Amino acid sequence: MKMTGDMNALTKRFEKLILALIPIPTSLAVLTSLWAVFLWVPTERNLGIVQRIFYYHVPSALACYVGFIIAALASIAYLARGKQVYDHLARAGVEVGMLFASMVLITGPLWAKPSWGTYWTWDARLTTMFVLWLVYFAYLLLRAFSRDDEMGKRFAAVLAIIGTLDIPLIVLATRLWQGAHPAVLQSTKADSGLKDPAMGITLAICMLAFALLFTWLWTLRFSVLRMTEAVEELEYRNDEALAS
Amino acid sequence: MFALIRKDLLLETRSKETIASLFLVGLLILFIFILSLNVEQSRVLEVAPGVLWAAIVLASLLGLGRTFLIERENGCLAALLLAPIDRSSIFLAKFLVNLLLMLTFEALLLPAFALFFALDVLPALPKLCTVLLAGSIGLAAAGTLFALAALNTRSRELMLPVLVLPLEVPLLLACVHATEAVLRGASLASVGRWAVYLVGFDVLFVISAWLMFEYLDLDG
Repeated sequence: MKMTGDMNALTKRFEKLILALIPIPTSLAVLTSLWAVFLWVPTERNLGIVQRIFYYHVPSALACYVGFIIAALASIAYLARGKQVYDHLARAGVEVGMLFASMVLITGPLWAKPSWGTYWTWDARLTTMFVLWLVYFAYLLLRAFSRDDEMGKRFAAVLAIIGTLDIPLIVLATRLWQGAHPAVLQSTKADSGLKDPAMGITLAICMLAFALLFTWLWTLRFSVLRMTEAVEELEYRNDEALAS
Repeated sequence: MFALIRKDLLLETRSKETIASLFLVGLLILFIFILSLNVEQSRVLEVAPGVLWAAIVLASLLGLGRTFLIERENGCLAALLLAPIDRSSIFLAKFLVNLLLMLTFEALLLPAFALFFALDVLPALPKLCTVLLAGSIGLAAAGTLFALAALNTRSRELMLPVLVLPLEVPLLLACVHATEAVLRGASLASVGRWAVYLVGFDVLFVISAWLMFEYLDLDG
């Protein structure tokens, strides 16, 4: 179908473009963020040095959500159109999203202990992030253990979609739950107290750096998946040719 | 679709394997929890609902895979897919059979639950049954959908809990708290919040599962 042929060509062009252009800006952004976070931005009054985790924690969460939403959208396209390129986009999105989700779950408790006094609490945000991590971990396991046929990929797509649809349900359930037992700890994130404009700028730099990083990693992963598919196709044709 | 349902039910009522195993597993799980938890009777309602739902979920995860497994083992799956019916009807049939199995299992488990925890469930029975029904619908929908997914993998029995449980987390949360509220004799308003949530969850899940089943390329 012309539409999907275009899609394939389109993604190839974007892939080449991104992989050519993105490394330098990303490296610059990340280096700048390192300087900004560790050398430039003033230390926050209440929490001290630990507050700096925030500058990596929040952009990681954003990158993770972007990854999972991309995966859900690509999965819908895959179920609807059936073209392999969408499946690659989805899978790459989940894998990179999981990377950032794991970062969120590691940096979060490290920050929580000094600020709230406990490593973990069951408020809506944390519970949602944890459940998402579980759901997409299940996605990765499903891909790993499935036979490499259409059905396996389609089920994975279904999981990716339902996982994202589940998000509001989890948030609602946790709010209903915690409403009855209000969280003893105040979930004051530091964004409620970004007093110094330098903090806002630092956050913006880190957001940019992570957005670029996500795009780079996602494109890389996508290109590897596509190359693997091409290699398998060649091997298959080779076997066919030898057999006949 | 009704033929499918009738066939599965006929299979089950003749052999009664699934129900018997589900019931036994449920009993064992309740028993293990009672042994490992140390709760005085005055505070039993803090843990009992959670234990009940843990038993239901764990047992049903074992049972849900079976309806598809039987098909596959007998080579019926291919025949089913060739039949000129909606794929979604296959899902509905399996879902309803699974639901019926779960409800029967819960009906058997409930007296044991009341006995083990020394709870008087009779006054709350209608509301409790409603909560059980609502929870079972959600569990059966997700479980049926992903039972087929799990079957397609190399580690079948292990995959189903991995796939279904994270998605079911909000449902479980709602069920446990609704059950607790009902057993405490709470007002309609406080139970109502959870009830509305459960209904919403069930509607979303059943419809999503039913829709998506159509898009699965089951010929593969």
